[in-house]
Amino acid sequence: MSDLIQLGARNERPRAPRADELELKFSPTAVEQLDALRTHYAEDKACILPGLWIAQREYGGYLEPAAIAEVAHRLGRSYAEVEGVATFYSMYNTAHTVGKHMIEVCTCLSCHVCGAYRIGDYLKQKLGVDFGETTADGVFTLHEVECLNACDRAPVLQVGDQYHGPVDTAYVDKLIEELRGSGSSTVVKLADEIVKVHLKDGQA
Amino acid sequence: MAAAVSTETVNITVNDIELVVPKGELVVEAVKRLGLEIPIFCYHPRLKPVGMCRMCLVEVGFKQPDGTVRKMPKPQAGCTLPVSEGMAVYTDTDAVKRDRKGVLEFLLANHPLDCPICDRGGECPLQNNTLAYGPSTSRFVEMKRHLPKAYPLSQYVTLDLERCIQCGRCVRFTEEISGDSQLAFRFRGASMQPSTFQLTDFESKFSGNVIEICPVGALTSAKYRFRARPWDLQTSPGICTVTPCGTNIWFDHRSGKFVRVNGRTNEGVNEEWTCDRTKFGHDFYNAADRLATPFRRDGEAFNAASWSEASQAVLAAFADGGEGVAVLVSPTLSNESLFMTQRLVRDTFKTNNIDFRPSGGLAWSERLENKYGLDPVGGTIADLEHAGSILVFGASLADEQPMTFLRVRKAWFSHGARVVVAHEVATEADSFADVVLRYNPGSAAVVAAGLRQLLAKVEGKFTPEHVESVSGVPADKLRAAAASLGENGAVVTTRRLAKPAAEILAVAAHETGRTFLHMGPHANTEGAAALGALPDTLPGGVKAETAGLDTKGILDAAAAGKLKALWLVGVDAFSLGDRDLVSRALENVETLVVTDYRPTESAEYASWLLPLALPAEQDGTYTSSERRVQHMGAILQAPGEARAQWQVAQELAARSGAAPVFSTSEVRSLIDSVAPDYASLTMAKVIDGGELLPRRGQSPHDLEKLAQTLGGL
Ligand code: SF4
Ligand code: SF4
Ligand code: FES
Ligand code: FES
Repeated sequence: MSDLIQLGARNERPRAPRADELELKFSPTAVEQLDALRTHYAEDKACILPGLWIAQREYGGYLEPAAIAEVAHRLGRSYAEVEGVATFYSMYNTAHTVGKHMIEVCTCLSCHVCGAYRIGDYLKQKLGVDFGETTADGVFTLHEVECLNACDRAPVLQVGDQYHGPVDTAYVDKLIEELRGSGSSTVVKLADEIVKVHLKDGQA
Repeated sequence: MAAAVSTETVNITVNDIELVVPKGELVVEAVKRLGLEIPIFCYHPRLKPVGMCRMCLVEVGFKQPDGTVRKMPKPQAGCTLPVSEGMAVYTDTDAVKRDRKGVLEFLLANHPLDCPICDRGGECPLQNNTLAYGPSTSRFVEMKRHLPKAYPLSQYVTLDLERCIQCGRCVRFTEEISGDSQLAFRFRGASMQPSTFQLTDFESKFSGNVIEICPVGALTSAKYRFRARPWDLQTSPGICTVTPCGTNIWFDHRSGKFVRVNGRTNEGVNEEWTCDRTKFGHDFYNAADRLATPFRRDGEAFNAASWSEASQAVLAAFADGGEGVAVLVSPTLSNESLFMTQRLVRDTFKTNNIDFRPSGGLAWSERLENKYGLDPVGGTIADLEHAGSILVFGASLADEQPMTFLRVRKAWFSHGARVVVAHEVATEADSFADVVLRYNPGSAAVVAAGLRQLLAKVEGKFTPEHVESVSGVPADKLRAAAASLGENGAVVTTRRLAKPAAEILAVAAHETGRTFLHMGPHANTEGAAALGALPDTLPGGVKAETAGLDTKGILDAAAAGKLKALWLVGVDAFSLGDRDLVSRALENVETLVVTDYRPTESAEYASWLLPLALPAEQDGTYTSSERRVQHMGAILQAPGEARAQWQVAQELAARSGAAPVFSTSEVRSLIDSVAPDYASLTMAKVIDGGELLPRRGQSPHDLEKLAQTLGGL
């Protein structure tokens, strides 16, 4: 491709969507929340982080390019800037789609000593996926994370906004059963909880 | 952009040499006062410092009461540290040298070192710093990271991610200078990459600058890629003639062929930036179909002819032609060419039928300077930087006046100016405007009148409510705009704005003591107007006794078969509008002479086709849209027998008995004898950065005529 362009070929790079080409997906509540959050900050730039949390919730847990574009559009920032912010922070899911539940296994020192890798291996085998992967049915995503700051409960798992620990294989079995049975997505719930915290912040 | 520099000074020492420098100046700038250099990558004097690369590490300490210096335990980044009283900076201690080696070793840990095939090789800060300060070997034996190479970010800009040293200059440029924020860093740590959103097209009107400020070969020009090595290039100072700004450029050429354009610093005009039209729009120098000899039409065919035949033929058709002949000239020709052409037209052709404007140009008495005694170009680009408020009216500045756009944006970004943008369509400037007034097409004058009424606090029918009903601009917005514009500032608009609106704005600016800028669209619009390439105006702005035909009149007359001969100099008549009228006009003149650098559409109708030398192929001066006269020498050789238009005009004049003129400096003396503005210029200044024509000054008269204009709305 670069050869062609070098020779002065017409530029055929895909271009970013224009404002009127965006398929906006924010629900009325989301729009309301974003508007409320905007009043918390002197500049819309500062609202990018909470805006992305709203988007992560609205788009079912995964910040697809369209979600990033929607946040940028609603805040009047450039797409690239918002994408830069979203890809910087690991709690925004920008790399690939995620399951309904994200199980994060802490493998840092304390948890490691208390058998985190045993739990990790057990989960891998039980779900049939490796760290960083999502099950074929799209229900679980497994991740390895650094210290969750709950070493006293090692080995610790984080699922959505809940910590579980100390866990053993029996606990894991029960947890997976429960999560499978629950209708809602803990990934979305986490995003929603964080949005709520942001909304409260401004009122304090 | 250095941190706020005050007039207060502090005493510091640099390598034990005492120095008094303004308080708050960055260390990296302060040492330059001693002729020292601190190596840098991410720091750029026109961008905010970020301290991302650590190349600028220095040792810093403070004088203790006992006279000793206590050094800080860690090296400091000179690009983010402002000087303070008693500071002792060391730029060449062993520790500093070791630190620099370390930083470079890390920067090179992942750097591909493909210098032999890298466009930056030979002018690469990374090469230079490594040579001067770096280690000669690396201890890293690990695999280097591998990333996409030669990724086309846009038609113009190619990204090589392996070479990027993550300095953030490109990202900061799009954020701070051009303002389109098209680039941002994605991911973090070692995987951080500058990129557009999802690697989509890099859509910016100023994208070429990131190529120049990238300290490595990560961002390269798709057009220049693999075309030359820097040490094979010759470079000459030039002026951009494709935009009206008078952007200063380095014109790089090799074996007599144009190769590329780089920005050249001129604080008054472009600082160091270029717009993409300037940076990538000069390829026409290498057009494959450049004309190199005169051509005569014989039936259907064009046959090469000599200049002397051509001159005789043109004279035969035009000399003493009076009302029956006309000439259209391009406002991108040099002052010298325009002046000599109008002189030929008036003295030898005995007509005033000459024009450079597309159509619908104003008659002498309608022009601001004559009608009201108001200067249409009352300020400069640099003035805008410190205007407290700026009204940008009816113009898409980024397209029409790119350097003025950057200055307006800088006024906002760096000095907090309030900007109000009024236009029919969305423009780049909307993004930083305090208030945007979007009016219905055709209602510009009413909006201008409404603003004037609020700003100059005069009574009239253009109340915000009335304006709203006509233009669709909410009354509150108009009031907000007036409030934002405050008591003084600048008003910027372009010649594209239709007449009544510009006139109203000019008067409003005068009434409220604002700087007014009414900027022309081409590289030498101002020169063409000032030097008499107009049917009713002689050089020096003097009114002609009898007015000739303007562009529209010329085309109409030609179409009606009333013109015997028409000469198009650098103008493709089909670019002037109404294609039907143009083709009838060109068909119906007996002799059509077309002078151009390549065959245009109009050339198909020509009886004679004459080769034109382009601006960089001749010596000449140009008057930019802020009325700055700048000089460009002959950098390239014109192909074959192509000539500068002033030479052609002088030859024709000489053949009919006028005294011959042998050089552009002789032409300039002729200009000086009739245009006092130009006579006041000093050539040394014109060559070195350009000199502004004296502002005409305000000698307002007949301001009450505005009532008539307003009444007509
Ligand atoms: S950027 Fe500089 S050091 Fe790197 S490959 Fe290119 S020329 Fe060599
Ligand atoms: S592409 Fe060039 S300017 Fe941009 S961050 Fe990388 S090295 Fe710096
Ligand atoms: S190591 Fe697992 S929570 Fe701290
Ligand atoms: S130049 Fe100072 S950190 Fe880059």
